[in-house]
Amino acid sequence: MIARVLFLHALRDFLRFRRVLAWVLVIAGVAVAGWVWAGLMGEMAPTDVYARLSSILTFRVLPLAAAVFATAVVGQEVEQKTIVYLLTRPVGRPTLLLSRAAAATVVVFAIGAACALTVAAAAGFRSGVAGSLGQDLVALAVGSLAYVSLFLVVSLLLNRAMVVCLLYAFGWETSVGNMPGDLYHLAVSSYLSAIGSKPAPTSGNPMLDLLSGQLGLNLITPQRAWTVLGVLIVVCLVFGTRWFATHEYVPREDAE
Amino acid sequence: MIKLQSVSHWYGQVIGVNDVTCTIGPGVTALLGMNGAGKTTMMRLITGQIRANTGSVRVLGHDPFANPEVYRLLGYCPDVDAFYETMTGREFVTLMARLAGFSAPEAKRRADEAIDRVGMADRADRRLAGYSKGMRQRIKLAQAMIHDPRIILLDEPLNGLDPGGRREFILLLRHLADEGKLILVSSHILFEVEQMTRSILLLHRGRLRATGDLRVIRELIDRHPHRIRIETPHPRALAARLVEWPFVLSVSLEAGGEALEIQTREPDRFYGSLPELVEQGLVILGLSSPDNNLESVFRYLVEA
Repeated sequence: MIARVLFLHALRDFLRFRRVLAWVLVIAGVAVAGWVWAGLMGEMAPTDVYARLSSILTFRVLPLAAAVFATAVVGQEVEQKTIVYLLTRPVGRPTLLLSRAAAATVVVFAIGAACALTVAAAAGFRSGVAGSLGQDLVALAVGSLAYVSLFLVVSLLLNRAMVVCLLYAFGWETSVGNMPGDLYHLAVSSYLSAIGSKPAPTSGNPMLDLLSGQLGLNLITPQRAWTVLGVLIVVCLVFGTRWFATHEYVPREDAE
Repeated sequence: MIKLQSVSHWYGQVIGVNDVTCTIGPGVTALLGMNGAGKTTMMRLITGQIRANTGSVRVLGHDPFANPEVYRLLGYCPDVDAFYETMTGREFVTLMARLAGFSAPEAKRRADEAIDRVGMADRADRRLAGYSKGMRQRIKLAQAMIHDPRIILLDEPLNGLDPGGRREFILLLRHLADEGKLILVSSHILFEVEQMTRSILLLHRGRLRATGDLRVIRELIDRHPHRIRIETPHPRALAARLVEWPFVLSVSLEAGGEALEIQTREPDRFYGSLPELVEQGLVILGLSSPDNNLESVFRYLVEA
């Protein structure tokens, strides 16, 4: 029961009007970019247009949203000094952390799904697109959990973790798909692209291939992707709850 | 019920509390100390938000750090003025009750009762962001009592309360103490503490300087000469009169000013005799005592 109360409280906090408005604007931006790009890719099959837009837009927004909400799970409470009310209640710290992380995951998935639907609309919702969208929704669900778990650990270990998470999301995750060799194994997005819809290896447009992270190889099979992401999620959540249960979290300037 | 044994905690190179040993039992106990003395650190150690670097903290026999069993029996009113600002006072207190494990109807009932008890019933449906400091203090107090804990820790609870609110609060504390609860209240205002309890813990620069009855400490202070500064347009004439009083130990004139400072071991007698001077036509513009503050209490204690 307490877990549900914590979940709903966090959800309500994450869905404050100003926050929702900001993400509505992001999704509107995705919609505009999607329509423009879809127009430029007129010759391609609708499924390929969708898959490319999805990898350029939806799977870029996902880690961004995860960085924002995962770091808010504990960091926001510490920053606004309200963590004291949560830590001095008869609630186990693992319950506290996991309930709030679940709320963050739901919100991140909702943003990702909204982006995917927008992109599907931009691609025309024609035959095949619905199947790719279904595949992507599954990838977005597991991706939301994977990114939130990963960024949650970063936020528990570092002060002002959002900067690190955003750098990771925009720097590493964006560029690793274009890198040579096996480095792609070190990015969550590589595993998500193995589960979700896949664009054709080359579009004939190097810029488009660069943006959609298609310049490097990605030989990850869906089975391996599920295994690696599952292990990543479990390890991050177990480590995160253990860390949170054994370390001090007091308002920042008081701790310095 | 609360036991600290050789407890030290430091933040980096800054010491929060240093080798503190004490036992706190039922009733109201005041944790007295100036800003930065280590009161909040001690509160955080007892509420298990932080761990002692050395020594041990026990609350009802348990280590309080991240221990839900302890939090079932402990209510905490923190010093930080932080809330979920978009919530109303009633929503906040109800949420705290839900997090204490009560069902929705029971949480609502308890929240209404606690809000009523702190005198916020008519304002509880306004957003916390619009509350005055005093209203926020009352809401913090309500959330600390919501689960009827055996131990209540209040960190600077009178900050921001108006005189009426203070009086009500002190009455509430006495009532809670009569119910057999252990109440630990921190403050840096000696006068405030004297109204709440005689049982004190005196912290200074992280160290526990004195424990026990405030009256004993007062007597200890009274053994030292008490300084009183008098503002007057005729300092020399007044000084001449004051040196005749046997309980005045010394009189010194302030250079170039219209004031003098006396020392006495019997401040009550001194204050009682002052009207005689006024009747004799001597003008007194102002009186102040550099010794009527916590700093001087600590100075006396350290010297003693």
